Amino acid sequence: MGAVTDDEVIRKRLLIDGDGAGDDRRINVLLKSFTKWCNSTGSPEEGFTQYQRMLGTLAQCEFSMGKTLLVYDMNLREMENYEKIYTDIEQNITSAHDKISECKKEIQRAKRIRKNRQEYDALAKVIQQHPDRHETLKQLEALDKELQQLSHIKENVEDKLELRKKQFHVLLSTIQELQQTLENDEKSENDDAQESSMENGE
Amino acid sequence: MSVFSQSFSPCGRFLAAGNNYGEIAVFSLSSALSPDATDLSQTPILTFTAHEGPVFSLFSTDSHLLSAGNGEISAWSWAELIKRVRPSSLEIPEINAMTVNPTENSLVIGGGDNNIHIMDLESGVFKSVLQGHTDYIHCLSVREREGEILSGGEDGAVRIWDHRTGQSVHCIEVYKYEECARPQYGKWISCLTTESDWMLCGGGPSLSLWHLRSMSPTSIFPLSGCQRQANFYQDMILSVGEGQCVSHCLLGGEVKAQIPCTPHSLNTLALNLNSTDNRVRVLTVGGSSHQIDVFTNLSYRTFSLSF
Repeated sequence: MGAVTDDEVIRKRLLIDGDGAGDDRRINVLLKSFTKWCNSTGSPEEGFTQYQRMLGTLAQCEFSMGKTLLVYDMNLREMENYEKIYTDIEQNITSAHDKISECKKEIQRAKRIRKNRQEYDALAKVIQQHPDRHETLKQLEALDKELQQLSHIKENVEDKLELRKKQFHVLLSTIQELQQTLENDEKSENDDAQESSMENGE
Repeated sequence: MSVFSQSFSPCGRFLAAGNNYGEIAVFSLSSALSPDATDLSQTPILTFTAHEGPVFSLFSTDSHLLSAGNGEISAWSWAELIKRVRPSSLEIPEINAMTVNPTENSLVIGGGDNNIHIMDLESGVFKSVLQGHTDYIHCLSVREREGEILSGGEDGAVRIWDHRTGQSVHCIEVYKYEECARPQYGKWISCLTTESDWMLCGGGPSLSLWHLRSMSPTSIFPLSGCQRQANFYQDMILSVGEGQCVSHCLLGGEVKAQIPCTPHSLNTLALNLNSTDNRVRVLTVGGSSHQIDVFTNLSYRTFSLSF
């Protein structure tokens, strides 16, 4: 009995409420009042008031229809807006990714440059400890000149020595020749004297 | 526990670390660095005993992980890490450093017998021995362009060898240079790394930057403690050693920053430059602790992996 009543109640409710709340009901009520007004047998004032009431309801329906249309337009435009923002953000993300990888490459490059610079600095420190090349070259040149001068002097001295040696040699050989000639002369004188004494003694 | 060596896989997603018990642990970096990492992802995905003694040196080639301990070298295939591909042994007490000379495809090994052994990677045959150090060798480095091998050892000398003739081209005795020498620590060289014409070496003497063409020290870094490993990275020098921090230095000689980390004294530093995936470009350091610190941004320690 209770279940049947519940079903009845639900069915009755559905029948009365018709097709939904609000606007739909308003249109149904308007239709019903229109048919009632058409078949009305009451006084003209009543009919007029009913007519006015119907116009009011009609205006209400039109108003709500206009509102719904505007809301629909608004929703469409919101959707477009969101789509645009979505694509913008996607683009930003991809460009940020690209920038990140570019920056990473930059970092690698910079690290390599820094490493090269440090190696260069380390070598430069060692090189600084050694004396300057120009100075060493100058020292070498001065030493070369000295060496040349000294060898020049040595040559001169040697030449002089040779000359003296030759002169002495000439002197000595002349003396020896003179000695020889003197000895020869003495010998020949002695021979002559012996020969003449032997001739005289016979 | 001390972590002595680290190496990243060729794809860059895994880290192998060797400790003093002879174990190698493999960590998955991609899962430890992923946004939904848990505590479990900071433990190894695989641990196995590689050698009887400590694993002093690990090196990764394109397909294999080479590990060296007390006189034996094992190659493990990265694809199937349990399978030991080819063990070879030398009669030397311990192997401290290993590096690969890519132009000749040969493995250069330095160890406790004062010599450097060169082994061909394809055949596993030992090609030559470089003799000249008077004490054991701590560290090795290869200059590919000039075809030279550099070695630093306990005798304080950094020797430069020509890999073709096997002769020592130069010998730099770092402790004899007044500005580098720290007699209170000794004369041993424990870290050596090169990049084009520059070389970093340190240990007993202070960490110093050398210009190899002129064989002169250009900058000395005022770091207290002995440095055990140093690397060039972009425009900086990263260095670890005694002292609970990773030091960032500039080539000019100033120490830019010292980043604190968990182990009290660090033995190894590794940079993962193998993979193009930016997430796994990390710096890891290990030392006298079971934790390996991972730095995703060089300025601070992100988290630690537990051995």
